[in-house]
This record gives sequence, structure tokens and C-alpha cells, in this order.
Amino acid sequence: MSMEYRELLLEIGCEEMPASWIPGIEAQLADRLTARLNEMRIAHRTPVRTFVAPRRLVATVAELAERQSDLEETVTGPPVRAAFDANGEPTRAALGFARKQGVDVSDLARVQTPKGEYLACHRRQAGGDTRSVLGGVLAATLRDLAFPKAMRWDATLEDGRGEFPFGRPVRWLLLLYGSRVVPFEIGRTQGAEASGVAPVRAGSVTYGHRFFGGDGNPREPIEVTSFADYRDRLEKACVLIDREDRRARVTRELEDRANEVSGRLAPLDQQSALHAEVPDLVEHPAVVTGTFPGEFLALPDEVLSTTMVHHQHYFPVVDEQGRLSAHFLAVTNTPGDDPARGARIAGNSERVLVARLRDARFFWDADRTQRLDDRLGRLDTLLFHKRLGSYRDKSERVAELAERIAGDVLGQSTAVAAAARRAAALCKADLATDMVGEFPELQGVMGGVYAREQGEPEAVWKAIYHHYLPIGVGADDPPSRDALGEAAASWAAVALADKADTVVGLFGAGEKPTGSRDPLGIRRQAQGMLRILLDLPELTGMEARVSVGQLLRPARNMHAKDDDEWSKVYWALDRKWKDGRSVVGIEEDTGINPQRVEDLLDEHQSEVRQFKAKDGWTGFALKSRPVDFLLERLRYLLEERGFDRRNVRAVTHQPLDEIRPLDARRKLEVLPEFTETSDFQTLATLFKRVRNIARELPDGSSWNETVLTEPAEVALRDELTTRRSVIDAAVETGAGFRAAFAEAARIGPAVDRFFNDVFVMADDLKLRNARLGLMQRVEQVILQLADVSEIVPETSS
Amino acid sequence: MALQDLILTLSRFWSERGCLLQQPLDVEVGAGTMHPETFLRVIGPRHWNVAYVQPSRRPADGRFGENPNRLFKHHQFQVILKPSPDAAQRLYLDSLEACGIDPTRHDVRFEEDNWESPTLGAWGIGWQVLLDGLEITQFTYFQQAGGMDLAPISVELTYGLERIAMHLQGVDDVYDLDWAPGVSYREVRHREEVEQSKYAFGQVDLPAGEFGRTHRDLFDRYYRLGEQLLASGLTLPALDHCLKCSHTFNLLDASGSIGVTERAAYILRVRKLAVAIAEAHAEWERSQLSDGGAGAAATGGVDG
Repeated sequence: MSMEYRELLLEIGCEEMPASWIPGIEAQLADRLTARLNEMRIAHRTPVRTFVAPRRLVATVAELAERQSDLEETVTGPPVRAAFDANGEPTRAALGFARKQGVDVSDLARVQTPKGEYLACHRRQAGGDTRSVLGGVLAATLRDLAFPKAMRWDATLEDGRGEFPFGRPVRWLLLLYGSRVVPFEIGRTQGAEASGVAPVRAGSVTYGHRFFGGDGNPREPIEVTSFADYRDRLEKACVLIDREDRRARVTRELEDRANEVSGRLAPLDQQSALHAEVPDLVEHPAVVTGTFPGEFLALPDEVLSTTMVHHQHYFPVVDEQGRLSAHFLAVTNTPGDDPARGARIAGNSERVLVARLRDARFFWDADRTQRLDDRLGRLDTLLFHKRLGSYRDKSERVAELAERIAGDVLGQSTAVAAAARRAAALCKADLATDMVGEFPELQGVMGGVYAREQGEPEAVWKAIYHHYLPIGVGADDPPSRDALGEAAASWAAVALADKADTVVGLFGAGEKPTGSRDPLGIRRQAQGMLRILLDLPELTGMEARVSVGQLLRPARNMHAKDDDEWSKVYWALDRKWKDGRSVVGIEEDTGINPQRVEDLLDEHQSEVRQFKAKDGWTGFALKSRPVDFLLERLRYLLEERGFDRRNVRAVTHQPLDEIRPLDARRKLEVLPEFTETSDFQTLATLFKRVRNIARELPDGSSWNETVLTEPAEVALRDELTTRRSVIDAAVETGAGFRAAFAEAARIGPAVDRFFNDVFVMADDLKLRNARLGLMQRVEQVILQLADVSEIVPETSS
Repeated sequence: MALQDLILTLSRFWSERGCLLQQPLDVEVGAGTMHPETFLRVIGPRHWNVAYVQPSRRPADGRFGENPNRLFKHHQFQVILKPSPDAAQRLYLDSLEACGIDPTRHDVRFEEDNWESPTLGAWGIGWQVLLDGLEITQFTYFQQAGGMDLAPISVELTYGLERIAMHLQGVDDVYDLDWAPGVSYREVRHREEVEQSKYAFGQVDLPAGEFGRTHRDLFDRYYRLGEQLLASGLTLPALDHCLKCSHTFNLLDASGSIGVTERAAYILRVRKLAVAIAEAHAEWERSQLSDGGAGAAATGGVDG
């Protein structure tokens, strides 16, 4: 019997979905419906296509089988040897299995499995009518859709799970299979039974644009028969179901309108988000042009743009010189066919925008009557974190930290360090301005603008302006060299100091991200900090190869400086790599008496892990350490840049404090050139053995190379002597890693020959130690570059 | 359409659709949501449809009568439909048409804007309704009040009366509005805005710090009395005093008398009392039902 295929068309008509959800729902709906159809064994010759517009979730399958495929399955029973007794009679196991399957023992088959021969029952169940199971598929799909925030709306589904929360209330359902309605119903809870509340039943109708659908009456239902018919009728009813159609129309109209006023769209970062969002705010986009009085152009561009983009979803327009003009573009949800309507909307939009700009100007004028320095007092009342004090406290920490980073870590002049300190001291002052109170997204930026207005030099105001950036992995990119100008070094110092203070401080205060929960955004801060270190030369022109420890140490000291004894203990525990710390050790580090240390550890036992050390003392370690967290972030950042996971591990094997992210990045840039060469692979494969053997050399033993006489060991020693100078130099200077890896690879064959020809564990202690010592030197020389044992080719690992 | 005609039109519109017309709460509040006709009525199973005007005081928005858009006190027209009818959006749009706003002549949009009141332990899902980019209404499906899940779900419509009137009258300055034909908003309200703003921002002849001290003291007294009223089973008077606390806190906040840390602590205190009041009310609702009230709709359902 040949299978017939028919078209499925589903439309969930709902109240306006949030624009930011729409791309995600579109993908989910396709994914979930496909999975549910497969699960129900309903074949489709064409893929599930989905479309989402604010008031509708649409799915269609052009060719969906009209019957489920037959279910064929083999149920395995007892092993054959347990199924029949010595006389060949079926045992209870065989009889029980057959009974359970509803067949005779004689109907059972035998199958071969890796564990032997088993009894089995082949079953075949004819597939049912697709129409009769589609309701179940739809119910399951609806339940599957995950919204960022679902709402309860007194709805139920008859799938045994009761109440049915959804993204927004569903107001109609279109469900056609082969042009015929498939029965389906969303019920309503008993408590909501009232005359205006009814179940939502599937039908064959849709509704057009809320105001411009249908012939004069958008409330009239539109009867449809197929997807093509549906799409066509909706387009006539002023609804573009395809996001790409809406987006293309938005883009085209924006360009046209901007041209009409001899301008173009302002190239603002924020607009990419606006571009992504706007097509999902409307079912039929049309763009209108508005104009505001030129006097407002005296406001800073940042304020103008934020008011337009953030608050009103309007696109700013720039003139031929790239300066903001007094025009803006608004995307409306209208047919765009009536110039009078367009002019009316533009005029009203102008009034809304002007009201906001007038407020902004009031803040702008008022804020500038007080210097940022005079606002620091108000920061006292702004809490940063209950255990880390106010924003005033934070500014003071960051100021000191930024000065040290600029001077000691980045090696800048005292003038630059002073600029960094000044910028850091003022960088949070804008939190106390009216403008940032009104436009929180301008924090930092506004501080920079006000600093400029009060005559701070570029090295100060630009450092403030950009100090929040970069944040996270991709979004919110760091400022460009051009944008930073004189402030490159001071910006880096302030941005690093602010982020290090936040990450270190919040960890110490017991706030750590877990799983997807990171309410304070610690991950983004940490990534921002590491990104600056990774790209320092490109961002600032500075060549400093800063290790993570160079940042963390002063930040920790800053926090441990407080009278908070626990934070001292905390950082003492964090400083130690792998091993924990004994109470006595903590006393040495912190000067806190042992009894008090024990009390503190007891008080914070949820954060501390206790263990028995090898030598019998009791050790303490942090359960979750900032260093582990940061190492994981660093590796994540590098992998996000496309570097091989194994290579990343190889160049980040040191304790985190010692890792220089910039070196790691530069090593990774050249490493792929070598990993496939046979010399390098030889080295990588043998390196674990080198490391294991080197460990056999007792601590503190001395050894003398001159006892080495075997040709293979002499060759290795000489090879190492020849090669290591290039490697050492690269590690020392942070340049020439390509040559260094080339030299390292060449050591590979000599190590191979050594292992083939030489018996390391010789009876002669002097000889043995010399050989072990040679191994240790190989280990040390290579490890400075990378733990190449991480890069063992996959086939041999 | 004068402001008072707008109120009359909306009142008639919703009255004709089965809403009981209530009067404003005679206690200072920041929004119509705080009126027991909303905050308490949305709790429990009993159906209820109600509309009222609520003068709403926002001390921090006071601008001494000098800002054309911001007011110490504005007016909300509040509608609660419980349960929310399927045609809630359509009914709302019909009400705009009744006021003379034809959506086909404009760009009317429902843009995501979920509402939350930390002090009331209440939140909902919904939109701000935009008329050519101007926010004219908050449209919310209540999900929780007093920290409790609600069933059935109520829909709350909060119209910004001044804004809608400004649009209808085509004026850019709120004080230029006609309150009644021939009587301006300025005549009715300007002096109040000036004086209330001065008060809200602490421009009072008092020794330094005395303004803050007085209001902290008021807050504490209202709070203690509120707790006492609640403990005595007097839920509605307790709510009055909880709202007085909320308003006193807003005054402290606007006048810069409290820091951010303390601010959070005040909000938490008000919330605690509000949640306890909501719970007491829920308990009372349950006792009513078991006494044979059977949850009959106090007012009829609202048809589309």
C-alpha cells in the first residue's frame, strides 16, 4: 500500500509575544514539532517550516504522511539456554515471557546478541491515522515550547498535566491537515468560568493585522485552505509572517527614508540590536521620518542616541559628515500606504521624543553644576556589596589598584599611573548623577563626558568613558585604539583594576556563579579582564605580558587589607595551588592565631574542604576557588577563538597566577603548524613518560652529567643544550614561539632514541640519577612552552 | 475632549460592560494598583470587575510645576477584570475608540513591559500600550500579589489620563490641558504641584536633618500601628497604614534622606507588611467561601 502525503498547517494565534523571544521560538517550534512527529512515527518528506510574527506561531509541513509508520520492534526475552530444560521443554522463564508478549512459545524467535542466543518476540503494530494522533503531537509540542517567562492564563490541556502556562494567551488556533480541520482544544480552568472566557478550539480561520487586516474589518476571520493560501491571504491582510521579509522591508525603508533627508543611518553599535529587534515588534513594518528641533543637537551624542535608540526604538540619522542630524526614523506597524497617517505618526513621535530630550537637557544642565569630585560623598550611600562596602569604598580600592597596575604591572610612567588613579577615583561618580539615574545604560560613558566637560585630560576622561568595556566574550567589544587616543594605558589600568576588584571581591564575599546562575555578572567581568590581557598590544600598543597573578595579587591584598579576618584566610587558601593549607600555614600567612583560624574555618565550613594530607596534618582548601574559575574562563575564551581544545590545555597547564594570557595566545597562534609533524608527535607521545620518570628523581639529589656515556643519552643531552637557548629566549621575551616550538619538536627523535637505547633505572645510583636528571631537564625545558602531552594525537591517546 | 470628559467616557464605557464604578482610595498612593479594589480583589477565587480613577502621588517625579510632562501627582484610570476575558485587548481598544482614538489613524502597539511592585510582592506579565510612541496604558495580567499565585488571573488596565488627554487635545504642556471646557489643568492643579514638590524635596523650614527624622519617625509609627491593626484582624485599616508607610518612604527617598542600602531595607519592610496583609485577606476570602459564599460572581462576567 503506498503512503499518501498531505499538508499540515498550524497557526497558534496569540497576543503580542515579546520581540526578543521570536527568533528563539521559531527555532524551538521547528525543533520540537519535528521531534514529536518523529516520536509518533509520522513521516514527512519535506521539513517542518516555522514562522513567527508577534501575534502568531506558524508551522507547516508540505508532505506529511497520512498514516504513522508501522511499529516493528523486537523484544528480547530470556537466554535460550535458560529457556528450555534438558528435555527441550520450555522453562517457566520462556513461558512467562511468551505469556507477557501474548504469543505461544512456538511463535518466539531466536536472536544472536554479543551475550549469546536469546529468545525474542518480533512485534508489528500497524500505524494509526495521522489525523487521529495530531492532537497529541500538538499538545506535546505546545508543552515543549520553553519561554523565558511563561504566564498563567487560566488555560488547561487535556494531556493529564492540567494547567497550561504559555508565553502569552492563545486566542485562536488554526489546524489543518489535508485542508481539513483537526479537532483540538485548549480548555479553561474551572475558576475562570465566566461568560467572556471560552475554550480555544482549532478551526480553519486566521486573523490579519490587528488594525489593517481584512476588508475594512480586521476582526473578521479569514478562512484558509492551505499554507500557500494562508500566506497569501495574510500578506493581503497586512501580515508578513516571514521574519526575513519583515527585516528586508525594514532595511530597505530605513535606507530610502534616510536618503530622502540626505543622510544615512548612524553607525552605532546599539543599532545592531535595534535592527534585530524591530522586525519582530511589528507584523507589517513601514518607516516614517521625524525631525526634532536643532537646539537639542547641543546635547552629547551619547544622550541623543540613547534617547532615540534605547527609549523610543528610533533610528538616528547622520549627515554626510557623519554627524548626528535632527532626523530620526521610526518603524511603525502599519501598511505605510497613507501619507497623512505617516505624517500624523511622525508628528506625534516627535512630541514624545522632544519631551524626553527636554528632560535629558534638564539633567545635562543640572549635572554639570557639580563636579564629579563633589559627588563622591554621595557614593558613600550607594552600596556595592554588603561585605565589600559602598561604591565610594570600591572607587578608593580601584584607584589604588589602577595606579599600581599602570606603574608596576604595565610599566608606565608616574604620569600615566597618576592619570589612571585619577580616572579610577572618579569612574563611579556618575552613578550619583541625574542623567545616569534616568539612563542607567550610560554609566561610565556619562562619567567620561562629564569629566571631559570639567576639563580632565584625555588620558583621564576617556579612561572613565570606556572603563566598563569589554564585557563578556563577544558583545560589548573593547574600545578601538582610535577611540582611546591618549588614554590607552590609563584605560587598560582602570578597566583591569575595576574588573579584578569585582571578581576577587565578590568571590571573597561568597558570591560565585553556579551553573547558569550568575546574577552579579561575575563571568562577564572575568572575561572582560582576561580579554584585555589577551589582546593588550592590539588594544593599547603596550607589549606587557601580564600574568594573571600580577593582577590578582594586588587585588587580593586590597581586599585582605580590610579588617576582615576571614578574607585574609580566604586569600591565603586561594593562593596555594593544588595543595591546601594547614592551620599553622594559615597562621604564617595571615598572622591570625591558630585558635581564631580554626573558628573562622568552622564558621565558613560551607566554603571550605577539609582533608588529610600525606604527612598526617589536616589540610584546608577552598571548595570553589577564583583561580579555578578564572582558568576555566580563560580556556573558554581561547576555545571560543577557535583554538584547539587540547592545545589550549597544553599552554595553560601552569598554576593560574603564572599564566600570561598573551603568551598563551601567541603560542596557540603558531602551535597548529607543528602538531601534525612527526617529530612533534613523537615528543608529545613520549612526554608523559618523560614526566613520570623525572618524578623518580629524589628531591634534592645532585647529579653529574659527565657520567653519561651511552651514545643515545649523550645525543639527547647535546640536543637539549643546542635547542634550549632558543626556547629559553622565547619564554623570556614572549617572542619567537614559532622557532621555539620548531626547536622543541627536534628534541622529539632524540628522546625516542633515548628511551629505545637507554635503561634509565640503572643500578648505579650516580648513573641513574644523571639519567633521571636529564629527563627532568627535558621536562623543564619543554614545560616552559607547553605541556605537550596534552596534544597527543587522538589515535594514540 | 476635556480631561473630565475623558474620565466620564471611560467610566461609562466600563460601566456599560459590567464594571462596578468605585471611587479613589482616600489614602496617598503611588498607583491605582495599591487600592484594595485591586491589590486585595485580585486575590482569591471570587470574580470581580471594577473601574475607578486613582490620583497617584510620585514624590520623586515632582518638578515644581515647571516640567510639561512630569507631575508629583497624576491620575490613573484603573480597570480590573477578574477573570480576564478572552477579548481583553479588544475591549481595551474599543475603549480607546470610545475616547476618540481611531487605531487605524495611528500606530498602536503592545510592547512587552512586565510590571512588578517589589513593595507589594506583586507582578504580572503584559505590555505598555504605545500610541505613536507614547506610552498611554499599562496592560497587565496579574500573576502574583502578596507573594501568592493568583487564580483566576485578573487583567489590570492602567490608563495614564493626563497623557491620553494631552494627545487628544494636541497640547505639549500638561498645564495647558482643559480639565473642563474653559478651565485649565494649570488652574486646577499648578499650585498643588509647586507646593507638593517643595514638600517632597524637603524644602521646608526645619532644622537640618529634621525633615528626615520626622518622616522616619512617621514611618515607624505607621508601621507599628499597621502591624498592630493586622494583629487585631483589621486587614483594611492595616493596608491603609502599610500604604502610608509606602508613601512616607517615597518622600524620604525623593528628599534624599536615605541611602541606597537603607532604601532596600525600607522596601523590604513594607513588602513584609504588605505580604502579611495579603495573606490575611486570602484567609478571610477562604473563610467567606466556606461560610457558603460559593464564590458567586459579585459582578457579572465581561463579554467581548
